[in-house]
Amino acid sequence: MAAYLVFVARRFGQLVLVVFLGISATFFITHMTPVDPVAESISAITNFGKSDPEAIELMRKTLTELYGLQGNVFEQYVSFWSRLIRGDLGPSLSAFPTPVSQIIFRALPWTVGLMISATLISFTIGNTLGALAGYYRKSRLLKIISLGLIGLQPIPYYILAFILLILFGFVWPVLPITGGYEMNADLTLSFTLVLDIIRHSILPAMALVLVGAGSWLTGMRALTSNIVTEDYVTFAELGGVGSTRILRSYVVRNAIVPQLTGLAMSLGAIFNGTVITEIVFGYPGIGTLLIDAVHAGDYSLVLGLASLSIIGVAIAVFLIDILSPLLDPRIKAE
Amino acid sequence: MKLWRTFLAGAALAVLASTAQAQDISNLPRKETVIIENPEGTVKNPGWFNIWVNGGGGLSTGLQQLTMDTLWYIDPDQGIDGPWYNSLAAEKPIYNADFSEMTVKLRKGMYWSDGVEFTADDVVYTVQTQIDHPGMVWSPLLAVSVDSIKATDPYTVVFKLKKPNSRFHALFTVRWNAIWIMPKHVFEKVEDPLKFDFANPISISAYKLKNYDPQGKWYIWEKREDWQRTPLGLIGEPGPKYAAYVDGGPPDKKTIAQLKHELDIIHDNTPEGMFTLVEQSKSLATWFKGFPYAHPDPTLPAVIFNTQKAPFDNADVRWALALLMDIKAIDLASYRGAATLSAIGVPPTGVAMPTYQAPMQEWLKNFELDTGKSKIKPYDPTIPSQIADMLRKQPKFKDQIPTDQTAIDNQFGYGWWKPNPKAAGELLERAGFKKSGNQWLQPDGQPFRIRLTVEGDSRSVFTRAGTLITQQWKQFGIDAKALPTTNPWQPMQAGDFDAAIAWSVETWGGDADMSFFLDSWHSSFVAKPGEVQPARNWQRWSSPELDKIIEGIRGISFDDPKGVDYGMDYLKLVVKEMPTIPMMSYNVFASMDTTYWTGYPTFPDDPYTDPVPNWGNSRLMMVKLRPTQP
Amino acid sequence: MFTIIRDLIRYNIEFAIGLLILLLLIAAVILSFFSPYPASEIYVVPPDLPPDAEFWLGTTSRGQDTFWQLMIGLRNTFGFGVAVAFLSRILSLVVGLSAGYAGGRVDRILMAINDSIMVIPQFPILVLFYFVLKDDMNWLMLVLILSALGWSYDARLIRSIAMSLRTRPFTTQSVYSGMSMRKILVEEHLPYVMPIVFATTMNNMIWSIGMEITLSVLGFTDVDTPTMGQMIYWANSHSALISGIWWWVAAPVAAIVILFIGLFLLSMSMNEYIDPRSRLNRMGN
Repeated sequence: MAAYLVFVARRFGQLVLVVFLGISATFFITHMTPVDPVAESISAITNFGKSDPEAIELMRKTLTELYGLQGNVFEQYVSFWSRLIRGDLGPSLSAFPTPVSQIIFRALPWTVGLMISATLISFTIGNTLGALAGYYRKSRLLKIISLGLIGLQPIPYYILAFILLILFGFVWPVLPITGGYEMNADLTLSFTLVLDIIRHSILPAMALVLVGAGSWLTGMRALTSNIVTEDYVTFAELGGVGSTRILRSYVVRNAIVPQLTGLAMSLGAIFNGTVITEIVFGYPGIGTLLIDAVHAGDYSLVLGLASLSIIGVAIAVFLIDILSPLLDPRIKAE
Repeated sequence: MKLWRTFLAGAALAVLASTAQAQDISNLPRKETVIIENPEGTVKNPGWFNIWVNGGGGLSTGLQQLTMDTLWYIDPDQGIDGPWYNSLAAEKPIYNADFSEMTVKLRKGMYWSDGVEFTADDVVYTVQTQIDHPGMVWSPLLAVSVDSIKATDPYTVVFKLKKPNSRFHALFTVRWNAIWIMPKHVFEKVEDPLKFDFANPISISAYKLKNYDPQGKWYIWEKREDWQRTPLGLIGEPGPKYAAYVDGGPPDKKTIAQLKHELDIIHDNTPEGMFTLVEQSKSLATWFKGFPYAHPDPTLPAVIFNTQKAPFDNADVRWALALLMDIKAIDLASYRGAATLSAIGVPPTGVAMPTYQAPMQEWLKNFELDTGKSKIKPYDPTIPSQIADMLRKQPKFKDQIPTDQTAIDNQFGYGWWKPNPKAAGELLERAGFKKSGNQWLQPDGQPFRIRLTVEGDSRSVFTRAGTLITQQWKQFGIDAKALPTTNPWQPMQAGDFDAAIAWSVETWGGDADMSFFLDSWHSSFVAKPGEVQPARNWQRWSSPELDKIIEGIRGISFDDPKGVDYGMDYLKLVVKEMPTIPMMSYNVFASMDTTYWTGYPTFPDDPYTDPVPNWGNSRLMMVKLRPTQP
Repeated sequence: MFTIIRDLIRYNIEFAIGLLILLLLIAAVILSFFSPYPASEIYVVPPDLPPDAEFWLGTTSRGQDTFWQLMIGLRNTFGFGVAVAFLSRILSLVVGLSAGYAGGRVDRILMAINDSIMVIPQFPILVLFYFVLKDDMNWLMLVLILSALGWSYDARLIRSIAMSLRTRPFTTQSVYSGMSMRKILVEEHLPYVMPIVFATTMNNMIWSIGMEITLSVLGFTDVDTPTMGQMIYWANSHSALISGIWWWVAAPVAAIVILFIGLFLLSMSMNEYIDPRSRLNRMGN
């Protein structure tokens, strides 16, 4: 037990180090961007209306001061960390003076809600089918299903999402094609609202599951076929243990550990899927926020989003790591 | 386990049931609601309504179109009672003799939506507060020009200016937007107007906020019960009870939404999306009935050169590149033929058509270009007809192409430069270039290399144009390549580009006065190489002759007929010097669905405003729209 | 080698199909060098023609022959996927096997690096790189960046297998019989992780190609190298899906799907080949 606690403590130290390195790397990459938030803010102001070159110079000076962008990168790096440690992500530069945290936490629940449910659904479907396909390798039905999911997986997500939108929103218009809930919806919690939200998330979730399940399936299939040749499985089979029990207790239990690590890590990939989901289905979330922030040179917002993602993924991986010795006794805690 | 299954099955059934019955996109009465696309998409900071601070809130969410107002408007098209109209002001601006003082008479009986009357104090407060808070949007513009402002009585305001400015009123004249008037009685209670979000915005126009999406996808505005007590209400009663401005999504999705009658006004589309609508929608209204359907906005996309960078500092080189462009192919590749061409430096739309484009034709036809070896007349007025003929051959468009010459002039433009590679070669040789094998070399022996910056993402028509232009240059032996960026203004501001497809000419549309953009082209505003160039002279070009024209315009009143003569001088000068290669107007594929509403602006029947809905001026649509269904 | 392939073709229909698809792909790559049109030139054929005898896959709205665009795009995209997969596989094998086998301090250092890279959200970083590198962001650069980002996930997977391999008796035996670490890893452990490497290769290719397409759709694209992503970008910017030019979208999508089914069938049958028990099982039928 003491050994395990030492392991957890060590692993926690590593977690802190990883978060520090990850955020620092992101900080410097972010600040390499040639996009100047002040220039962006000025062009947002002057792109359409009347402008005067003299006035624009004045504005540039004012905003640089207001946004606190004086000082070199290292001074900004130090002040960034001193703020972050206090849990303050600073004000957004493209929505000044609104705090970055307010902007992020408005949209984050939508992304997290949709992406986690879709990831869990595709994880379950993919791994179940993968385990079955790896164990019953002769089943024709499983082969066809596997091939179907694997064939869907490489379809560009944008195209698949659009095809679903055309099919269920236009050809056979049964599902809403835009937003997280209907326009002018009453957003106090009620049964109608929950139904409305579920209804609006069916298409985006379906698209995510269809492209996501294949990769779990292939991974699980490979892991399972590795394990079914192990001696203990053979012994169990010879010993007359039922195949369902073998699959559940002997095969899946061992194969699932690396898949769980993958699950934790796939949290970090939510940006990949969420941007297109938001663009195609108009679903609320942090993806378009991110793209906007990059365009606007709003490094406070980019860093805020990236830092949260880094911390989230690092903690998830940490949890899986400290749990895996408990799940798979062959992995020694060290 | 069993309980779980029952629960899941129940939930699935409930969802299916609700799906089957509810197919409305909102719970608003559809027949009383007009649904309009906001091209800003999802608003980053949805609860921010303080339009006087750039706080990440939306501008064209309906906020500036339906709740804001200011002194005057100039319509990009004809307007309801002429392009110029007084809004919160009762009459046109009154200047003193040397344009150092401007007096404004205000309307009486205009009320904010919370029942407080609008007075001169609001105008004074708007100006003074912004001057006092340098972070506010219009603060620097006011700070550099206003010396003092006072209300001489509740309905009269006098501006004392720091230096004579015959166009000062333009700051308060809406072309897309202008300086909006602030409600003094709300803002004066606020500690710091820079940090105030103006939640529950009160309105001085005919609509007020009903509801908005905390995720920034939609904004709903409701007609005020006392709409008569607003400047917009004076023009007429607004038709729609509710106006919803929504995030339309990518072009394909907007098109689908309009085919489903879930989106009444699309802001802009791809040409192909527009053609799909023309083909499939039975209830479509567009600006032009036939090709090109789009509204030509008073903005002039052009190939903009960085004239501070050799060899683009040489007019011969710029002219050579213009003569290497085959505009017919560019038009077909970018707009699929649906462009309104312009060879000269003013957008081919609105009042510019009769005032500048038509009168310039004779001069253009006779314009001679001396290449050093030969003299050519580069202008070809038949190009638009040739494009119309080519389009007429496609069965899909056959009936959509006008045959009448006036209609072709209006819809396809008057003409453009004829490709002339021989003359281009002669011009390049005069500039000291040499052709070696298949490759043109600069005077210093380096290969002639051009990187054409284009906007890769949101304005794909210009990316298409750019790839074709560079292909044409490449075929002539120039190392040319299109460079998509997400924001071409960035390198243009920094001067870090060779050439770009963008615009440095924007006009009032409904007024012939060129000062709106031309004033910023004065040589005193041109940045040194490597420094940031303020808007809009992205080409960083200056000439003593141009300065003389600009100073001439500054010296006369905005409605002086001599302004048109100065405009002509400018147009002729930029033809000779070619600091940018003007191509076409910014054609916006705005499309309107008549299932629920009629009365949209169309040309030539009733061109009362720009249907492009992010313009502040587009508010005139509200008073013209009438329900189609009882 | 030849007999192995012959046996596989004879007894394993999946392998045969997969091989056929792979051969088709190689044919497409070879064919792409004989395209009658320069890859990035537009308006070389009449636009918007549906598939017919002259243009097998129709023409695009940009006046390009879809067939030749597809051949060139397949070459670039497949090359891209393979390059990223190859580079990142090497990294993940080296890191994963050594960390899992060595344990202790080596493991902790390697995993700290690994995890730092793993937790950095790839998508924002890629978009940022596009802004930073601008003109220099080309095909090769994207291969390098994606390889540098795409190994850590699988290194962890490989490490976790290596960790459990280390506790097995045969490793202990090898250690006692004096085998070097390199030898143990390459000869004893590598075969065990190969199935997972094959499976991750495919996932990695799907990831990198998907990333390329996502970036292209969002407008971060290199116009000089036609790829699947660029094809879809242009099709999308011409509203091909709704304006009836379906072949412009269907061709690249179908090609990618077939390609990946082929790869899957190959990797599946190879796994079975590597694992002798299941091979015997199949032959017995």
